[in-house]
Amino acid sequence: MMGWTRHLRDDRLYECYLVERGGEAVDPRAADHLADCQSCAGRYRQLSEFLATIGDEAAREADDLFTPERLQQQQDAIQRKLDVAARPARVISFPGQTAPTHTQPTTRVATRWLAAAAAAGLIVGVGVGETFRPSGAGEPAVSRATAQATTPRTAPAALRVSAPAPAPDANDDDRFLRELEMALQRPQTRELLSFDNLTPHAREIGRRVR
Amino acid sequence: MSDHAVQQPERLSPVAPPAATAARRPAAAAPISEDTRLAVEIREQVARGDVDQARSLFSGLVTQHQRRASRIAYQYLRDAAEADEAVQDAFVKVFSHIASYREAWPFEVWFTRILINGCLDRRKSRARRERWFVSSDDGPPEDARLPFGGAGNPDPEARLLARERRARLASAIDRLDGRQRTVFMLCHYGDCSPREVSAMTGLNESTVRVHLFRAARKLRAFLGGQP
Ligand SMILES: [Zn+2]
Repeated sequence: MMGWTRHLRDDRLYECYLVERGGEAVDPRAADHLADCQSCAGRYRQLSEFLATIGDEAAREADDLFTPERLQQQQDAIQRKLDVAARPARVISFPGQTAPTHTQPTTRVATRWLAAAAAAGLIVGVGVGETFRPSGAGEPAVSRATAQATTPRTAPAALRVSAPAPAPDANDDDRFLRELEMALQRPQTRELLSFDNLTPHAREIGRRVR
Repeated sequence: MSDHAVQQPERLSPVAPPAATAARRPAAAAPISEDTRLAVEIREQVARGDVDQARSLFSGLVTQHQRRASRIAYQYLRDAAEADEAVQDAFVKVFSHIASYREAWPFEVWFTRILINGCLDRRKSRARRERWFVSSDDGPPEDARLPFGGAGNPDPEARLLARERRARLASAIDRLDGRQRTVFMLCHYGDCSPREVSAMTGLNESTVRVHLFRAARKLRAFLGGQP
């Protein structure tokens, strides 16, 4: 048939797809082969259809969700955030924002926080034990995590069911969890986790209950 | 929690300064794109203290990029409300850091890096929450909560099939490793060329091509050749 003895490998076909999609010319030798070999042309067609369908499907799915109205709300929210950023010195409260931000149900947040408080308390209890051990003095990370866990900030935040703006709390929570996880990575804390493994976890209990 | 959920994609590390990227570009005097020109103008207005004018130009930049940004953020986060916030935060960050923007980088590349790093941070923080909190039933899929069940298709059976297909695809994408997922999504969902993906991720272009091919091969295997 042609000067080729071997079919195009999958990675070459994929390369051809990328090149063609970018509007560039496919390597002439590969193009000649595709023109002459039905088998490779068929594989190429299948691959192209597969990739194009994936891209189209993803775009359609996102476009169904991000309607023009929603994009407009996004624009408005960006402008509001820029307004806030432009006035750092004054504290201004923005009651009743209209744009949809996080739609997480508050009751769920509360439940999750109760479980978290229990889990954190368990681990922090381990941490406290460690901190008060005579040789364990000077463990700043654990102490800091402990201090944070015992400040009223965490649990009441969970129970403030009607609190309208969860975003700053979410950042605090994340920082708290990050520090807690860092504390748990310390070798002396890790030893104690074997005790923790013997104790039922709040999340496991929660799972069983549901 | 499954293993692949624990595995987190790497945050995009700082890449070489624009000169190195420009060196790979075929034509040194490639024409500057409209959005890049706009970003430069905004930067200059901010520098002159003309913030109101800059803000008004900036909304044009947002309009140009927000649809694509929302697609990318949604594919990363699979939660429309969180994607909204990721997109908003990325644009706010762009405006507040516009002084550091250099036109040697196409605006799209610079913006997309900011967006993706924000999405990766959100994924990490979500994984952290999931490690600590009782996981809850997340309810029906996102498009099922839309007034018409998502797609403009009025046929309920077609909508259901579309929803299943999308869920299958999303779960296959989620099974890719972090780099492959990022590179594949930027190329096939964000319509970026391998060269642009290389500039966004700091990976060299041939590595991007290898990741792309492997991701595509895995997806075909996961999905049995049918998207
Ligand atoms: Zn062949």
